[in-house]
Amino acid sequence: MILLLAPLIAIAVIGGVALVLRLQRGGQRELVGNVVEPSASRSRLPSILYFTGETCTICRTAQRPALRALADDIDPGIEIREIDIAVEPDLARRYRVMSLPTTIVLGPAGEVTEINVGFASGEVLRRQLVDAGMPVAA
Amino acid sequence: MAVVPFDRSVLKVNQAILMTVIVAGYAVGLAYHLAAWVLPVLAVMMLAAVASPSFNVPRLLYLRLLKPAGIVRARVVQEDPAPHRFAQLVGGVFLAAASIFVIAGLLLVAWVLAWIVAALAFLNFAFNICVGCIMYAQLVRVGLLPLSREPAR
Repeated sequence: MILLLAPLIAIAVIGGVALVLRLQRGGQRELVGNVVEPSASRSRLPSILYFTGETCTICRTAQRPALRALADDIDPGIEIREIDIAVEPDLARRYRVMSLPTTIVLGPAGEVTEINVGFASGEVLRRQLVDAGMPVAA
Repeated sequence: MAVVPFDRSVLKVNQAILMTVIVAGYAVGLAYHLAAWVLPVLAVMMLAAVASPSFNVPRLLYLRLLKPAGIVRARVVQEDPAPHRFAQLVGGVFLAAASIFVIAGLLLVAWVLAWIVAALAFLNFAFNICVGCIMYAQLVRVGLLPLSREPAR
């Protein structure tokens, strides 16, 4: 009957690991809806923060090309800012970036509207920009 | 790193098999301890799937039966399959460890490990939370794992 404890122990172990991971990640999803980096010069358009790093291969081979293609296809006033976490570690810490690439969509007021951990396609980012207030061409 | 068309349904079938067999094996194992020998079978299935797509039983089941019969629909996405393969490897290693404990007669430890695999499979199946993939990303980030350049299977 001691075997009845097996699922309980397993769930406790996973719960513990999940708690540690959540604490380490600092609850990044909680940033959604908040202005993390106040800026006086908002352009009334959404923008994208793209966190990358020298060791991130997927950034070079997939994420950056996707963002370049997206940039060619959207309003030039929409800023796509590439941030090397080695160069700007404070910004990465502020946005609680734990893995690369991470793309964060900001609304016109600088509020976080979406956080993509890992590769995000141009199609997904475009949809998120529209949801964040990017005007859709007629 | 290879971002390629990748059918997530193969993973879902794999996770469904894992959850079903582990939970059923555990339920039977409460009365008949011999049911714990299902864990080595699952371990072999998982590790063989990682080793070669030809030995990937859930994939073959999906491609030859479930998909043609319309029971499971394809869910093709553009992504790197390497993290998922790593997650399968982690599951296989856990089940291999569980198998060792079955052989040693430590059934409680064996079933705890198996339940961990089943719970993680459930998280991935129901909520698309792939803990093995998170581990993979972290290991790549700190340089302990190279990024895969293998094609999708």
